[in-house]
Amino acid sequence: MDLFANLATGFAVAFTPINLAFCFLGVLIGTLVGVLPGIAPITTIAILLPFTFTLPPASSLIMLSGIFYGAQYGGSTTAILVNVPGESSAVVTCLDGHQMARQGRAGPALAIAAIGSFIAGTIATLIIATASAPMSWLALKFAAPEYFSLMVLGLTGAVVLAHGAPGKAVAMVLVGLLLGLVGIDVNSGLPRMTLGIGELGDGIGFVPVAIGLFGIAELAVALGSPQDRTLLAFKAKNLWPSRDDIRACIAPILRGTAIGSVLGVLPGGGAALSSFAAYAVEKKVSRTPERFGRGAIEGVASPEAANNAGAQTSFIPLLTLGIPGNAIMALMVGALMIQGIQPGPQVMTEQPQLFWGVIASMWLGNLMLIVLNLPLIGLWVSLLRIPYRVMFPAIVLFCCIGTYSIANSVFDIWIMLLFGVLGVFLIKVGAEPAPFILGFILGPLMEENFRRAMNLSRGNPMVFVERPLSALLLLMSLALLVILILPAVRAKREQVFQE
Amino acid sequence: MGSRINFPDLAFGVLLIAIGLVAWILIADLPVGTATSMGPGYVPRGLALLIGAFGVVQCARAFAAARVPLPSTALRPLLLVGASVAVFALLLRTAGLALTAAAVVIVAGFAAYDVRLRENLLLAVGLAVFAVLLFVIGLGLPIPIWPQ
Repeated sequence: MDLFANLATGFAVAFTPINLAFCFLGVLIGTLVGVLPGIAPITTIAILLPFTFTLPPASSLIMLSGIFYGAQYGGSTTAILVNVPGESSAVVTCLDGHQMARQGRAGPALAIAAIGSFIAGTIATLIIATASAPMSWLALKFAAPEYFSLMVLGLTGAVVLAHGAPGKAVAMVLVGLLLGLVGIDVNSGLPRMTLGIGELGDGIGFVPVAIGLFGIAELAVALGSPQDRTLLAFKAKNLWPSRDDIRACIAPILRGTAIGSVLGVLPGGGAALSSFAAYAVEKKVSRTPERFGRGAIEGVASPEAANNAGAQTSFIPLLTLGIPGNAIMALMVGALMIQGIQPGPQVMTEQPQLFWGVIASMWLGNLMLIVLNLPLIGLWVSLLRIPYRVMFPAIVLFCCIGTYSIANSVFDIWIMLLFGVLGVFLIKVGAEPAPFILGFILGPLMEENFRRAMNLSRGNPMVFVERPLSALLLLMSLALLVILILPAVRAKREQVFQE
Repeated sequence: MGSRINFPDLAFGVLLIAIGLVAWILIADLPVGTATSMGPGYVPRGLALLIGAFGVVQCARAFAAARVPLPSTALRPLLLVGASVAVFALLLRTAGLALTAAAVVIVAGFAAYDVRLRENLLLAVGLAVFAVLLFVIGLGLPIPIWPQ
């Protein structure tokens, strides 16, 4: 079967020493930032992005994706032991995981989180491998109108899943689209909104914007709000869950994997949403829902499986269609473009080594994580004792060096500072930067496809609804918006984000 | 300020209007073209208009809402983190990475309320050495180490 031949290609790439090393480095860094509250994987990926410039494309993507799913593992460690989610996707893990730790069952909680994640990661890798071929085949049927409509769907998804008021998220998308257009227009050669600044001719750099919004801004806000952490004493003994624990968790892990895999593919989806949904489902189907919140091991297993599966399947739209479904995938697009690769369905056929190598590395990375993490939990815990005041100056410094190194440009540092200040403002007024960054990266692509589609249809906007695939995509966006506006869903959504 | 105004929403709305206006002015000269063959000004103009309209709606709704004050912003971290980034931009080309890195860490360190002077200085030296070793010697970035 093709699938196995492709996976064999992938493993051949992933097993080269250099890629093994970068995969290891990726999951190690990922776990590290996952464990530490206050540094998100998106910040880390943004900071490391410039340094991947000198790597081969496959190694670069292998490392960056390792950071992403590695952080899902690390986040649960902090959630269980400290009751502070290391990552947003680990918020629900706090509920039962920390209760288990209080009852002296931290070991089984950590172990089941790791095992659940591994099983989910394995299944998700297979799903990506099988789903990619038909998705790319579909993508070949895409012309300008379909691409435009697909991006509309992606942006709608980002709006629906953003925290806070939907109106603000829509506005952020629009501002992102507009700022994405700064620079010299490819069709006419005229500079747009460059203020006559030569450095802006190629547009506003993606890396300084991302680091400013997600690195500098988050830091400045986090420092303003005091954090206190009380570490539970942890003994590495009794790490292994009992046979009963494992038996109780098999079904929840599989359910979590299924939920995460589906939600991860949706535009705007990803790890955090998946874990919330999985927890809710687990509580619903449980015969003893009252145990949830009091240390039910299913309440750890299922969301942990879901967030890992969701993290991985959110690569599907990026790898097959070239459309990022969430802000982290937008950074991956940035990573590809640094390498001179235009993301899209052609990547799979033109760069099979890259494509299948990254997919195979995900399974390897998951294996490394489970082997790495359980024995090293003591080390991760001791990292939590490092005070934030020592950590963050290092982060500021790395943000600066990273931004500078991408083009050896001091101008980019000023851009980073500007977007850092803007980011603080946005956080304070309750507008999320994630929809902005998605709009920013899609801006030029969307305009290009819009122009092309309108040109082919001689200025008739009906082209977007007359072509069946495009109409379907727009209908899906509309459905998402309608769901968002329905009062019942709206209340539920607010409740979910409140928790 | 006994008014019933949602200040965060109002501030966001004003920002949107400002962005829309500035963009509109900047692209005023660009040819718009027609729907069939769009000029470089077509899409940005549409976006600027939409953003401005969103801003107006945000502002209008802010006045009709229950009073929400602007959240308090801790100025010290914001200013000092910002200043440390500015220090990096201003010093790097002339002072080289070693001194710049130390200066950035020292300034940034004071953004934390629980900063300790000796610890901060040690950290500055340590990170400067680490940055030079990792980025210039290890990764080979073309950044001067010492003042030119």
